[in-house]
Amino acid sequence: MWIWLLVVGLILSHNAYLWLVQKVVPDTDILALLPVEQRDPVLQQAFTHMVDSAQQRVIVLVGADDWAQARAAADAYSAVLIKHPALFEATAPMSEQAQTDWLGPSQQNRLSLLTAEQQKLLQEKPPAFWVESALRQLYSPFSGPKLGAWQDDPFGLFTGWVQARAQETPVRPRDGYLFVEANGRQYVMLLLTLRQPAFSMANQQAVLPLLNVAAKAAKLTVPKVELISAGVILHAGAASAQASAEMSTIGVGSLLGIVLLMWLTFGAFRPVGLIVLSIAIGCLGAFSICWLIFGRVHLLTLVFGASLIGVAQDYGIYFLCSRAGSDKSLPSHQLLRRLLPGLLLTLTAAVIGYIGLALTPFPGLRQMAVFSVLGLVFAWLTVICWFPTLVQPSTLKGTRFADWCGASRHHWPLFQRNFGTLLVAILFGVFVVTGLTRLRVNDDIRSLQSPPKVLLDDQIKLSKILDAPTPVQFYLVRGDSAEQVLQREEALRLRLDPLIAQHVISGYQAMSSWTPSMQAQIANRVLVERALLGKDGPLKALAAQLGEDQSWIKQMRERALGAATQVGTNTSTLTPDAFLKTPASEPSRHLWLGRVEGVHGVTFASIVALRGLNNYANLPLLQKTASHLDGVQWVDKVSEISTVLGDYRQYMGSVLLGAYVAIFLLLFGRYRFAGWRVVLPPAIASIGVLALLGIIGQPLQMFHMLALMLILGLGVDYGIFLQEKTDHQDPAGRFAWLAVCLSAVSALLSFGLLALSSTPPLHAFGFTMLVGIAIVWLIAPCFSQSKNSRL
Amino acid sequence: MKRLFSSGLFSSIVTPVLISGFFIVLAASAQAAAPIAKIQEMLAKPPVLCGRFDQAKQLMGIKKPLLSNGRFCVVSGKGVLWRTLQPFPNTLRLKRDEIVQMQGDRVAMRLDAKQEPVVRMINSVMFSLVAGDLSQLESLFDMDGSIQGSTWKVALKARQPALAKAIGTLTLTGGTTVKSVTINEASGDRTEITFSGVQSGVNAMTSEEGAALD
Repeated sequence: MWIWLLVVGLILSHNAYLWLVQKVVPDTDILALLPVEQRDPVLQQAFTHMVDSAQQRVIVLVGADDWAQARAAADAYSAVLIKHPALFEATAPMSEQAQTDWLGPSQQNRLSLLTAEQQKLLQEKPPAFWVESALRQLYSPFSGPKLGAWQDDPFGLFTGWVQARAQETPVRPRDGYLFVEANGRQYVMLLLTLRQPAFSMANQQAVLPLLNVAAKAAKLTVPKVELISAGVILHAGAASAQASAEMSTIGVGSLLGIVLLMWLTFGAFRPVGLIVLSIAIGCLGAFSICWLIFGRVHLLTLVFGASLIGVAQDYGIYFLCSRAGSDKSLPSHQLLRRLLPGLLLTLTAAVIGYIGLALTPFPGLRQMAVFSVLGLVFAWLTVICWFPTLVQPSTLKGTRFADWCGASRHHWPLFQRNFGTLLVAILFGVFVVTGLTRLRVNDDIRSLQSPPKVLLDDQIKLSKILDAPTPVQFYLVRGDSAEQVLQREEALRLRLDPLIAQHVISGYQAMSSWTPSMQAQIANRVLVERALLGKDGPLKALAAQLGEDQSWIKQMRERALGAATQVGTNTSTLTPDAFLKTPASEPSRHLWLGRVEGVHGVTFASIVALRGLNNYANLPLLQKTASHLDGVQWVDKVSEISTVLGDYRQYMGSVLLGAYVAIFLLLFGRYRFAGWRVVLPPAIASIGVLALLGIIGQPLQMFHMLALMLILGLGVDYGIFLQEKTDHQDPAGRFAWLAVCLSAVSALLSFGLLALSSTPPLHAFGFTMLVGIAIVWLIAPCFSQSKNSRL
Repeated sequence: MKRLFSSGLFSSIVTPVLISGFFIVLAASAQAAAPIAKIQEMLAKPPVLCGRFDQAKQLMGIKKPLLSNGRFCVVSGKGVLWRTLQPFPNTLRLKRDEIVQMQGDRVAMRLDAKQEPVVRMINSVMFSLVAGDLSQLESLFDMDGSIQGSTWKVALKARQPALAKAIGTLTLTGGTTVKSVTINEASGDRTEITFSGVQSGVNAMTSEEGAALD
């Protein structure tokens, strides 16, 4: 008793320290759920680089019919947020210096920069072509965009290259704003950077209302304003809001139901508190120890583990029902001694059921196993150590409802070898075969999300307007050096260019577009020298046309050559590292991973991102594009996560089967062959649920599996309670059945009601629990031993 | 996503267009500042305006000035046509959603508003100029005007440093129409354009020119 108080005190203080002092956050990285040997640090970094940087951002497009209105609305919007520097990072306006030096390094090395089309022209066109184009540009009033003096770019090559870069985005600076135009409307693009994590509920509650206030302010200024927002926090916020709204509705409903039920049964409210106490101590204890063992706890562990610990309600219920059904003269501690074998058995069975998860290679499942087993043990110990003291014979009085409920067991038909049983079995068999043959599997992560339509629409609009690269599908390029990575990117780009022509993608973003590999830079330089600067090349003909002499040719030539990478020296400024120091590189920074500590030592890596990828049917084609290219890997985070979920589902399925066998063997020690009476009801219920899923066309997911584990845990408890032999004087049969009823109804109220949730995973879990527990509850008494049965 | 393109590039795209547009555009120039407002009153604002231009470019690194000439047309609400006839035939056409440069029948360059949103903005600036509404220009340029009798002079300086760096300064002179435009670029390159034989009204434009702008 006192020892346990000390232990619980320790747990509580450790939890308080973790949550309140250290402010620990559960892991959310889905890749942490992968087996260690399957993990790829470079890939992980790539995700972090691509996705996590985007997590802290919110993009808002403020659109109006004319520019002045768009600006006014954007100003009103920004004015609201600027008052909250603790939530939003201020976006620094671009310094004048940055604006003027924008293309400096590229311009200094312009001879090394050519677009693919320019390379083709330089290889194919005769000198006359270049002379003519230079002259046309000279005389034309408008030679297209021009950068710097004419003599720095007489053939317009650098200008053409910059234009090609400009095509990578439709966003342009305008009057100190970022501007994009679409469908005849003018938009200001606001980039908000959050200071706190997007997944923090507190941050969501602070940020989202503010965004609404800002939106109202913008609408007040310009009534016809169009606001398009996108950001991880919006989705996360919508999901949490939906979940918490549901949880509070469903939670309150289920709590009320359970309180009412306990009151009807025991005529007191204390039992509810006791059971909640035991489960809470279980969860907190599990969290403490897990944190000590693993040094971190994954969100998935927390959510699933806590559900699995739900089985622990049975221990308390069993004790309380026995107390209520027992003679008042029997002290609670003696009662406990009587119940101990059964209680120990239920705990062992559940532990065996869950421990199987630890045998899988997945860290997430292992953690889940440890967490839920620990939770069960802590909750169980709480019941054993405290309940006898806290619940005295006088505490509970059996009510008429309890008596009626306990006695109702006799109305159940017993399972016997007769025609009726055979008929039921045949009907059930037909149902199962029909259902299971139709059962489909779907591990797609996208089916687990149900973001509000407005958010999805906005996101689609936004990505269309901005022609932004998708953050979840990209190519990962690796090599032993930065140079090798760039060369491999260039090889990949050769394959991607035709895909742009075929409209599979609208474009790509790659570091090598900005800083070609040294190899390509040298080739470009050689090409320009040969085609344009040669002895009798276009430069000479141009001089003749303009009435200039030999010295002019020499001067122009030297000027051009000065703008090339000095091969073999260290003066080259056109490397990724150098480029990343310039303001022009900001849109490309997420592409360059640079030096990464990989599994096999140091590697260099980069990302090639795709724009305009809106047809998922093209994914296999893009995957194929990466094949046979050294060091290029197609990455699809959506399918990666779906694969992880699929693996987890399969492993859980195997563990579940193993658990049935293991539990049967365990029960064999106590009940001999009658053990089948314990494991058959949950097995039948599980098969029934699966068949039902097949019939109603709900695809099987990991969350159904999780519920099946819980059905096994609870179902075995019911079997054990009903099997436990107690002497005839005791209304044992009655209180055991009462305990089963209470536990089942509580499970239906707490888990089963989740079937009402519109969040797909919760619905899947809840629906399975609802049907499964109902079946177990209803059929468990049929498998009781009749007096003359031998099995 | 982020700050994608800096004004360096932006101005490089805008500059030539603005420049090519200006002399025409300022045929109907107007401004709020005192002399500017007067200048605007002096200018005629016909729906159609055509004439001859002579252009002299003095580039750094080339001794002799590069001379060219041709015809221009401005049609209110439709666009601008700028045809170089000598020494290299070349047509520049600015419409609401595109800027196209033709060499003979070949399209040498096309800037589409869909691809390059700035195009629509540039053109809208120019059209608003033609319409005598200079509020758009005011956000881009500081204007400084002076009047002597029936002639006037305006100096324009871009407000944005990057734009100023690319364009340098513009000087316009004229009376009832713009007479000359001088562009002094920061790089030292200099362009001077003079207008002559300016006509307005229905017969100012050849049918060919009308078709090009339709």
